[in-house]
Amino acid sequence: MSDETDVLQGTLDLLILRTIALGPMHGWAIAQRIQQISDDLLRVQQGSLYPALHRLEHQGWMTADWGVSENNRRARFYSLTRAGRKQVEAEVAKWERLSAGVNLVLQRT
Amino acid sequence: MRAWHIVRSRLRSLLFRGGRESDLDEELQFHLERETERLQANGLSREDARLQALRLFGGVEQIKEASRDARGTAAFDALARDTRYGVRRLVRDWRFTTAAVLILGLAIGANTAIFSLVNAVLFRDSPFADRDRLVNIYQNDLAGKPLAVVSYDSYQEMAQYTDIFAATMAATIPMPARYLHEGGIRSGTAEYATASYLDVLGLRPSLGRWFDATEERPGAPLVAVLGYQAWTRAFRADPSILGRIVRIEGAPVTIVGIGPVHHRGTLDVGLVTDFWLPVTALRELSAMPVMRAGPTIIAPFFVKARLREGATLAQAKAAMDVLAPRLVAALPEELRGGGELAVGPGITVVATTDVRVHPQADAPFMAIASGVLVVVSLVLAIACGNLATLLLVRGAARTKEIAVRLALGATRRQLVRHLLMESLLLSLAGGIAGCILAWWALQALRGVELPVTVDLTVDSRVLAFAMALSLITGVAFGLAPALKATKVDLLPGLRDEGVPPIDRRRLTLKNALIVVQVAVSVLLLGGTSIFLQQLAAARERRVGHAVDGVAMLETDARFAGYPAAAVVNVYDELRRRIAALPGVQSAALAYGLPMQSGTVAIVVEGASDTRSNGDSAMIWAGPGFFETLRIPLLHGRVFDARDRAGTPSVAVVTETMARQYFGAVDAVGRRFRNGNQPNSWMEVIGVVRDTGARSLSPDDVLARPPSQFYRSYTQSGLVATTVIARTSGDAAALLGAMQRELRAVDVTLPVITAQTMAQDLERSQAAPKVVATFLGVLGGLGLVLASIGLYAVVAFSVARRSREIGIRMALGARSRQVVWSIARGVAGLIGVGTSIGLVLTILIMLALRATSGSAGIGIGNMDVYRPDIDPVTLVAIAAVTAVVGVAAAFVPARRAARMDPLVALRYE
Repeated sequence: MSDETDVLQGTLDLLILRTIALGPMHGWAIAQRIQQISDDLLRVQQGSLYPALHRLEHQGWMTADWGVSENNRRARFYSLTRAGRKQVEAEVAKWERLSAGVNLVLQRT
Repeated sequence: MRAWHIVRSRLRSLLFRGGRESDLDEELQFHLERETERLQANGLSREDARLQALRLFGGVEQIKEASRDARGTAAFDALARDTRYGVRRLVRDWRFTTAAVLILGLAIGANTAIFSLVNAVLFRDSPFADRDRLVNIYQNDLAGKPLAVVSYDSYQEMAQYTDIFAATMAATIPMPARYLHEGGIRSGTAEYATASYLDVLGLRPSLGRWFDATEERPGAPLVAVLGYQAWTRAFRADPSILGRIVRIEGAPVTIVGIGPVHHRGTLDVGLVTDFWLPVTALRELSAMPVMRAGPTIIAPFFVKARLREGATLAQAKAAMDVLAPRLVAALPEELRGGGELAVGPGITVVATTDVRVHPQADAPFMAIASGVLVVVSLVLAIACGNLATLLLVRGAARTKEIAVRLALGATRRQLVRHLLMESLLLSLAGGIAGCILAWWALQALRGVELPVTVDLTVDSRVLAFAMALSLITGVAFGLAPALKATKVDLLPGLRDEGVPPIDRRRLTLKNALIVVQVAVSVLLLGGTSIFLQQLAAARERRVGHAVDGVAMLETDARFAGYPAAAVVNVYDELRRRIAALPGVQSAALAYGLPMQSGTVAIVVEGASDTRSNGDSAMIWAGPGFFETLRIPLLHGRVFDARDRAGTPSVAVVTETMARQYFGAVDAVGRRFRNGNQPNSWMEVIGVVRDTGARSLSPDDVLARPPSQFYRSYTQSGLVATTVIARTSGDAAALLGAMQRELRAVDVTLPVITAQTMAQDLERSQAAPKVVATFLGVLGGLGLVLASIGLYAVVAFSVARRSREIGIRMALGARSRQVVWSIARGVAGLIGVGTSIGLVLTILIMLALRATSGSAGIGIGNMDVYRPDIDPVTLVAIAAVTAVVGVAAAFVPARRAARMDPLVALRYE
């Protein structure tokens, strides 16, 4: 556990939105994908994943529909809405500004 | 787009709560299984994989809770939870719930019904365009107060001021207008108006057109505009009515248009006008000979004008001040001095928006309306007080439950919220029940035959009123008990020792509630008794003539196409035929003037003051009238064949009138005239005993004993008649024979009404009966509510004292002693409440007696009844209240005393 980083509060939304921008995905797959792509550096806690999913759906960034999963089970698939796509861009830009700023501070001190 | 998603998701979360919960379950379950599969693939056994997945997952319930919160429906959830909880509790206590909903339903229903009446009369918005540019114009009387009438001549003078008024109109008060429809004669109302009517009001006919200036000229073919409500109700909104001929008051009238949709009548006080006709039609249609004969139309006209752009109310006033003296100078000499139409040298101009009915009538009108509203709110106050008491009782019974919940960590706020939710649910249910009751009451009221059509609809304003009322009452009766119930000292509450010994001397909330409830119900009963007294008095006065065995047949030969001059011969033949029927002792022609002003101003010949000496009621009576009604003759003679058109006018007066105007019962030979008609001198030929009835079908039953006189029907020139006949047999059986004779005279003669006089009297009392019943119900309701409240309070205090009672019984007290000790305390409170109520009732009676007898506004008089302060009634009211109250106290007290001391000690 020590070598895995908990996702920073607030960036989880960005990660979820960015992940499902590739295509509809269910909750477990989203968590797995984030973990894989980050080379197991980032780990999403279920305790924050599902509330985040429901919050994002509720805010209108994404919609959820029941579908059939890769192992042939009924699963809830999340996909981006049009507003969600715009939101991804905005969040990415925001993150880039933020990380650039943080990097600068770290380098120059 | 996003907003749509949000709305949809939120709606879904609210509507499909169950579905959402199972969705969430399934979603998390799927996650767990998928994770288990993954771990199994990594080489773990199924069992270990599942355990690890669960460990990784964390608390399922917490995740669910957090997900739910993420949807932002937490507040709704709490509300829904409270609602569900409240509904469950109320369903479980269904007896309490039923009682509470009934109490509230009755109280809110009564309030809503009354409010919809007041709403119909006073508050509905008039549909006039640019209302602030409209003015009402009244001629003043000699005292400078606005009269209700403006003569047509005066109106025409006012209409000349076109530099100030863009348009001016005149319309009469609604007058009775009978019309032939679907083979029957219907009674309706008509306003006679000018062609400029709609222009001034800024309205358009909803169909067809208004009549124009050419149709307003004398001799023009008769046309009429049908009121929108009459069109939709009586004519089923049939558009083909345009161009058709309807016989109104016997004359063929072409319908040229349908009135504006929301326009009910010029007065706009809830009375619905059925027809609008040109003013000149009044001469041909009016049943009153005065209006048919006069070169000037003497009719009660309302005048309204629309101010020109830029013209001000002040300018209009100034112009009318100049005109006023000229109008007086133009009056005939005899009219200047006295009479109802005695016009003074002044004109009142008021903005239409500042007047409801008439400047002189508005204040008493509002006073009556607010008086009635106060009475019904008293009932509501009692109901609230009661429910507060009941809730207090329940709160006390739930002390332990509340203490437990507080101990388990519920906040006081949550508990108060729960309790308030319960009372709000109760009051909403009560509000709905109230609306249903009110609607039902109005339906019943509509079934009563009233001389006018009142527009009674439960509109959005009434519904809003009812709902606001129920919400307010919910908080009003729920808050205090909720606060009190949750103020629990935890330890004693849990240990069952929360009940302090009762202190009777203290002024507690409960004691005050009892006193107030008793006082208010005494007040209500007192008010009811005043009205019943009034009604009984009216009934008694009426039985001045012999009613049994008299049959009445009303007809109007104009509907059969007879010219006005020929109708008397037709009626006379009808009377002779009916008089000749077997069993008929006598028959006579008569005519009462229902809905007309009923009274006329009297000027006595030789009186030093030429002004009107007062008002007197008038009935037209043909030969045989007094024998038929068995009204004894005191002096002189009654009408006979000598009194015909062309012979000097004669009158028969009642003893009251003789005393009042001539100073002696024997007034034979004296002369008087109608104050409004200069040359209407008539000679008194006889004096008869008082009867009490103002007209044959009087609607003013609440008036004081009237001064009254009779004129000869054969000298009247009247066009409609009622044949009255007395039979030695059954009056109802005679009706058929009378109608056969009518058809024998002319088969086209219509039967307007055919009934026995007893039926007629019964019917004429329908309206006051409704009011009396209503007040009686209110009074009874108040008493019932107060008794429930008393019962609840006493039961409550007894329940709290059961331990004390048990100890006393265990120590050897007799059950009778216990009952008395409880009843004594309650009796004291009832005594105080009753005394306060009686004092208030007497004060109100005194106030009523002190008000002036009548508020004259020009059209008739509004009589204010002066109640007798009748000690017997007051004692009876006090006795009834006391008995009911003590009975309410006795039942729970006895139950307490019969309790096994052991049970009582262990109780709670």
